[in-house]
Amino acid sequence: MSAATIEIEVRHEAGLHLRPAALFLQTAGAYGADIRVRNITRDTPFKNAKSMLEVMSLAVKQGHLIELKADGDDAAEAIEALRELIDNNFGE
Amino acid sequence: MIGIVIVSHSPLIAEGVKQLASEMTQGRVKILSAGGLDDTTIGTNTERIYRALLEANTSDGVLVLADLGSAVLSSQAAIEMLPEADQNHVLISNAPLVEGAIVAAVQASIGEALEAVNAAAEAASTMNKLQ
Repeated sequence: MSAATIEIEVRHEAGLHLRPAALFLQTAGAYGADIRVRNITRDTPFKNAKSMLEVMSLAVKQGHLIELKADGDDAAEAIEALRELIDNNFGE
Repeated sequence: MIGIVIVSHSPLIAEGVKQLASEMTQGRVKILSAGGLDDTTIGTNTERIYRALLEANTSDGVLVLADLGSAVLSSQAAIEMLPEADQNHVLISNAPLVEGAIVAAVQASIGEALEAVNAAAEAASTMNKLQ
């Protein structure tokens, strides 16, 4: 088992809602690791990164800082894939 | 991966919800619409729903999202037309149609099982939109 964490800013104008949230989920869902996400800007608790409702409940808006943490064999790869997705502004 | 069938009295609503949910999954999930009495008439049609169920059916099951009233009754009738072995793999969700379809499609796209997808879709009714 390994663990990885990262803090990153969401720059997408829709924040982490609908299409960006769906892409986030699908990226997280491709890994076996347990992945949690919280909204640092709003000081929320960690939520399940593989649940659409939980991710949307974080109310991540443009410019918010989020924290990701993953536990599991592919934790580092999962965090790297999510970092790339968010850094690339969800492909837009 | 499960399939999803969208049932509405309005063919346009059913098709629109399908389109929206499909956009969220980039075509990874089989989503069928079964709206209206026919393509232009408001109503529900057991035969149309039945055909959509057959097409959406995978070994992992089908989740039906319906609007109200006879959309649910017609869905139940359509399920009863399926072979008995398949009937157990089809669930009608109590989820709100639009929100539920989006959540169901995304959860299905990461390979979640029928019951888990339905539970997530039904929880969409508690989502706070006014964040």
